[in-house]
Amino acid sequence: MKMQYHLLPFDFTRIAGKEILVNEVGDMMVVPEGTTQRIVDRQMEKDDLYKSLVANFFISEDLVPPLLDVYAARLREKKRFMDYFTALHIFVVTLQCNQNCVYCQASSRKEQSEHCTMSYEMMERSVELMFRSPAPVLTMEFQGGEPSLHPKLIRFGIEKAEEKRLVDGREVRYVLCTNCVNLTDEMLDICKQYHVMISTSLDGPAFLHNANRGKTDSYEKVVAGIEKARKALGNEQVSALMTTSVQGLSHPVEIVDEYAKLGFKSLFLRALNPYGLASDNPDWEDYTRKFIDFYKTAFEHILELNKRGIHFAEEFAIIVLRKMLTPFSTGFVDLQSPAGIVNSVLVYNYDGYVYASDESRMLAEKGDYTFQLGSVFDRYEDVVYGDKVRNIAEIWSNEALAGCSDCALKTYCGADPVRNYSTQGDMYGHRPSSLLCKKNKAIIEYLISLIVEREEEVVPIFKTWLL
Amino acid sequence: MKNGFDIDSNDNALFVTEQCNNNCLMCCQPPSTVDDIEALYQKNLQLLESAPEGLKVLGITGGEPTLLGERLVDLIVEIRKHLPNTAIQLLSNGRTFKDADYAHRVAQAAGEEFFVGVPLHSDYLKDHDAIAGSKRAFEETIYGLYNLAAEGVEIELRVVINAMNYKRLPQMAEFIFKNLPFVSWVAFMGMERIGYSVKNQSLIWAEPNEYASYLREAVMILDSWGVPVAVYNIPLCLLPKDCWIFAKRSISDWKIKYSKICDDCAVREKCCGLFSTSAKEYIGLNRQS
Repeated sequence: MKMQYHLLPFDFTRIAGKEILVNEVGDMMVVPEGTTQRIVDRQMEKDDLYKSLVANFFISEDLVPPLLDVYAARLREKKRFMDYFTALHIFVVTLQCNQNCVYCQASSRKEQSEHCTMSYEMMERSVELMFRSPAPVLTMEFQGGEPSLHPKLIRFGIEKAEEKRLVDGREVRYVLCTNCVNLTDEMLDICKQYHVMISTSLDGPAFLHNANRGKTDSYEKVVAGIEKARKALGNEQVSALMTTSVQGLSHPVEIVDEYAKLGFKSLFLRALNPYGLASDNPDWEDYTRKFIDFYKTAFEHILELNKRGIHFAEEFAIIVLRKMLTPFSTGFVDLQSPAGIVNSVLVYNYDGYVYASDESRMLAEKGDYTFQLGSVFDRYEDVVYGDKVRNIAEIWSNEALAGCSDCALKTYCGADPVRNYSTQGDMYGHRPSSLLCKKNKAIIEYLISLIVEREEEVVPIFKTWLL
Repeated sequence: MKNGFDIDSNDNALFVTEQCNNNCLMCCQPPSTVDDIEALYQKNLQLLESAPEGLKVLGITGGEPTLLGERLVDLIVEIRKHLPNTAIQLLSNGRTFKDADYAHRVAQAAGEEFFVGVPLHSDYLKDHDAIAGSKRAFEETIYGLYNLAAEGVEIELRVVINAMNYKRLPQMAEFIFKNLPFVSWVAFMGMERIGYSVKNQSLIWAEPNEYASYLREAVMILDSWGVPVAVYNIPLCLLPKDCWIFAKRSISDWKIKYSKICDDCAVREKCCGLFSTSAKEYIGLNRQS
């Protein structure tokens, strides 16, 4: 006899011999193959699986689910990152740099280069624009090039922000993205005074890091810089990011071990992106395929470390797992829908223009100003609510994109119009041939397969990362 | 507490009505339909006159106290006049708080040091309603919980373990984490063998040694997500050892008894003991050494 119930919106996919059902808020159920067909055909028994489908918002016994408002509250929480609009404000202080990275994503210039540093006037005007954003907590992040080459300009920017912060009672967090090669006492004094977090980049052990930097002594200097910063500011104020160069693809275990050895508690296994000089990399398809293997090998090694009692997490997985296993929102700029651009991040470039994201200003260095939203001297409303943003907003939600809207993994993934544009020539993008889709899907499916096949081993570890 | 306060007791509570809008299959204090609200209200006002100032916790219990409506708000205002710093512990099925405005008035009257203990019987609405003996009980309780949380009220979620819900305790733990992550803690409770749990025992009674493994899994799920969790009313000898840290000495001091077998038990001092009010002891009590 057919059962009477109503379907609620959910998607499904097959992973590791199971069907994975995912509802609108990202709750996941692992069920035997064929379950979706039985659900749709109203061929369920009134058993525990049936009760779980009702309790978890996959089906409803009433036309209007009795807990519909609870479901709405949960969706609101998952989209909470949108509540206060742009929170992250990136200030590209200068393109000047003292390193020469093989994959440079920021099109940096030599230290002595002219006309690639923000003026004081632009800095002040950029801070004013940042304060037009309604977010109660603002993050002001200094990037480059190497921003620490201009400590006085950074101090000026922070002081302007502090003046305004005290007037309207908001909190501002400061982040300095620096290679740590030349952290002067002057720079560290600023960091100490204003609790500036240091975000540095380290690609792995000495041989790899130095090869990526095009220098022979970079590793030594960075590690010394990290130590100096930790002493001055405290360990928790210093974090590091890695980028997986082509050479790095062959060294997943060494990279993880290097981070653990230096006392970091986590690592973001980050793929190269196709901006700046990095787009000279010839074979993106080959790189993507290898990166997926690299990620899995590194991740297995991270799990091993945890089993040995070393608390060490992988940051990309944390974002996905928080969406998958908890009812809470994530605040990360990537993997969001609506996309992180404008909603979560704005970039004030050294040239006095505002861009939709870090990647957007990198496109501009290649002469493509598609994502240049306006000048820092324009009205805030014209920059943030202008025609350009309105057009992008049409296609920045994966719930409304072909190839995404019916993907079971969409709640764990996000939309990225800038990447679609730069790799596929249009902001809408074509999922079947998108390498970003391929990479994200492969990694999310891998994480799910771990939960399906090795739950007792991996889930307790994941929970320690999420708490 | 019968007719006066005992500052040394862990069980000082104002009994406000025998009426209830649920009719739980295992109710230890079966409801009545007699309109007792005003009489008990006046009696409780008198009791409050002799309330000792240093009292740590004062319960409000029934029946279902929210059936007092505005009288409950009045009572809490009176309590606060006499006992501004005492923690008020309201035991309620939460259904009336589906009215957000009512939740607001009660929370405002109580101020700080106020928490509400609310039972949840299942993650599946029809199981909850069947156990609560009332249609729509589940959704009204859940919305009540949301409204209390919105008022910043501390919530103790109470799960009375019985034959109709113990097999879904793990699923329920996940449901609580996903849908009610704002509760202050979750208490899993053994049944008292009195009232309806005797009358309905063929339907509702479950022994700890039947449900211990499900209980353990549920406790571990909540604990692993950082949700504070407690186990009430189940003697340590019937709990898996790794659950002992969650067990509380939960039985009111005037209701505790120990069995003969407890005489030389090594953990007697840490154990909640048994309900003196229960008609029969749990099966499988054993001495720990």
